[in-house]
Amino acid sequence: MDEQFRKIVKHFVELKDTSEIMLDLAYSALLLNSKELAEEVIRLEDQVDVIHRDFQLLSLSCDLLAENTEDRLGLIEMGEVTERIADAAAEIAEVVLRGLEPHPVLRMVIRGAEETVVRATVPPNSSLIGKTLKQARIPEQTGMWILVIRRGDAWMRPASTMMLQAGDILLASGYAEGREDFWGLVGEERRRRRR
Amino acid sequence: MNMSRLKKIEYRPISVREALVEIKDLSELMIDLAYSSALFNSKELAEEVVDLGEQVDTLVYLLDMSAMLAARDAEEAESLSGVLKVGSAVDKISDAAVAMASIVLRGIDAPPLVQEAFKLIDEQLSRIEVAQESVLIGRKLSDLELAAMIGVDVIALRRNKTWIIDLEKEQVKGRDILIARGALYGLERLRNIAEGKTKELE
Repeated sequence: MDEQFRKIVKHFVELKDTSEIMLDLAYSALLLNSKELAEEVIRLEDQVDVIHRDFQLLSLSCDLLAENTEDRLGLIEMGEVTERIADAAAEIAEVVLRGLEPHPVLRMVIRGAEETVVRATVPPNSSLIGKTLKQARIPEQTGMWILVIRRGDAWMRPASTMMLQAGDILLASGYAEGREDFWGLVGEERRRRRR
Repeated sequence: MNMSRLKKIEYRPISVREALVEIKDLSELMIDLAYSSALFNSKELAEEVVDLGEQVDTLVYLLDMSAMLAARDAEEAESLSGVLKVGSAVDKISDAAVAMASIVLRGIDAPPLVQEAFKLIDEQLSRIEVAQESVLIGRKLSDLELAAMIGVDVIALRRNKTWIIDLEKEQVKGRDILIARGALYGLERLRNIAEGKTKELE
C-alpha cells in the first residue's frame, strides 16, 4: 500500500478509536457523575483535534488522490465524521462538568436500571498481572466487562491479547452484583471500604 | 434536501426515557451500519442509515416535548435540561452516521479507507450468509444470546432485498444475510454456525 495512504489509514483508526473511547467514557462519567472522567473526555477531545488536523493535512497532500478531488473530499469528510462523534462525547461530558445533577432517567438509558460502571486499579500483587485480558476471564468470573483501560496517560479499548500491568486502571460495566467479585478478582484493596 | 419532504412533527405521548433510549440505541446502530455501508460498499445500507436518521430527528422533537411536559419546577427543569443536552449530543452522533452514509451514497471512493482501517482494529463487522442446513434456522436472534455466548452482536439482517434492523422477534431463515459485530474469533464461530459447519450452538 502507498506509504502516504497507510499513514492516513493509521490516523483514521486513531480517530475512530479515540472518539469511541470518548463516548464510552462520557456515558460512564454521566453514570458515575464523575467530573474526573468527564475531564478526561475533554482532554481526549484536544487530542482528537490534533490527530484530526494531521489527518486533514495528510489527506490534502496525498499524491494518490491527485486526479480525484471528489475522493479527496470524501476522505476529509470521513475524518469529520469521527470528529463529530468526539464533539458529541464532549458535550455529554460537559453536562457532568456543569454540575447538573444527572437525571435518574439517564442512568436507565445508559445501562439499564440494574447495571453500573465501576473502576479498579490493578495492585502490584494482583494475580492478573502478566495475564492477557482473555486469560483474565473477567466477564466469565464476575459478569462485568471492561469498557476501557487506562495505562499511564493513555486510554485503551480492551483487546483480548492485551497484557495487564500493575497500575492499570480498569473501567468495567455490568450488573451491580458483580462489583465485589470484580474488585476481588482484580485484587483491589479499597473494595472493603466501598461496600 | 427537499424541504417539503420533511415530515410534519406532531406530539404523541412517549416518555422521556423511552424517547432517549430509542435515540441512543438508533444512533449506535446507525454508526455500525454506516461503517458497514462503507466497508461493504453498500448503497442500500447507506440508505437505511439515512432513513434511521430521519426517525431520530423526529424522536428528538418528541423527547423535547415530553421533557417540557414533565418539568414541574425549577429543580426538575434543571435536571431535565441535562437530559435534553444528552439527547441533542446523541442526535449529533446520528447526524455523523448520516454524513458517512452520504459519502457512500455519492459513490465516493472512501470505502478503501474504511476497509484498510478495519484490518487494524479489534472489533470487526462481518457479512454472514445463513445456509439452509444451519442450526440457526427458525431460531429467534434474541433467544440465541450470541452476545453472551460468543461476544457477537447481530445488528442487521437482509432478507429478500430488504434490510431488517428490528431484530428482537425475528426468526432466522435460510439465505438471510447477517451483519454482525464482534471480535474476529467470535465472528468466525458465528460464520461456522451460520454456514452449517458447526451444528452445536454452544
